[in-house]
Amino acid sequence: MKSIDEISRLSAEDLERISLDESIPVPEELSARVQAAVRAADRQAQRRRWVLPTGIAAAVATLVAVGLTLTRNPEPMDTFDDPYLAYAEVEKVFAKISGTVAYGAEKVSQSEQTLDKLSYWK
Amino acid sequence: MKKLYILVAMLLMSITALAQDGRSLYNKYSDYDNVEAVYISPAMFRLIGKIPDVEMEGENVNLGPIIKSLSGLYILSIKQGAVADDLAADVNRFINKGQYELLMEAKDSGEVTRMYTVGDDFVVNSFVMLSHDGDETNFICIDGTIPRDKLENLIADAAKD
Repeated sequence: MKSIDEISRLSAEDLERISLDESIPVPEELSARVQAAVRAADRQAQRRRWVLPTGIAAAVATLVAVGLTLTRNPEPMDTFDDPYLAYAEVEKVFAKISGTVAYGAEKVSQSEQTLDKLSYWK
Repeated sequence: MKKLYILVAMLLMSITALAQDGRSLYNKYSDYDNVEAVYISPAMFRLIGKIPDVEMEGENVNLGPIIKSLSGLYILSIKQGAVADDLAADVNRFINKGQYELLMEAKDSGEVTRMYTVGDDFVVNSFVMLSHDGDETNFICIDGTIPRDKLENLIADAAKD
């Protein structure tokens, strides 16, 4: 059996002569295999044709989405110029949060005391 | 090709999620009448972090351990009305979409306060507090990479005082 290199070195006349030589046995499924290989190569080529346009479309869609998000949601202006005033505001916020937590903790503690009293009288 | 579609879909989803944050709510409501709005930017937090040993008179909260981990603060206070209701609805929507976890809820004589966090066991990426009393709706959103233990200690310590 010839290798692919040897076949590629053959002239057109040689290839024609060999193809007409009926003494050379041809496998039965060769034709079907060749057709399947050609169809697969066609499908792959068709798929490759769509990769670039689809990739470009996806990149454009992503850029548009990022652009829209950034322009519609810009960074606001700082309320304070002075970091000490900003710090005081942050502190006020945390004091408020802590106050709410303290209130919640107090309620939990009161409930526990009530439960303790109830269990004592049972 | 399928990987590309999945990547683009994930990117678009993350962009959409990014759009529903404290900043978008602040941008939406801060220009309304009767709205008090405060924003502190990441740049200002970096500046605060550079002040040596910040100590303020008045409130008894030591922010030193977490101040450098904060990257944004949004506050909106809106007098009761249609705009306040819209804000509360928008906050609830973004809480539900953003995988926030309810940290605490307190109700007292018509005043409801809820606190939410998003992050993991070690880090809080966003803290939200929404409260309504009869007159006002308050929204506070703190963004950052805040160590959870330090945040909890700070709040607990301040709550004791």
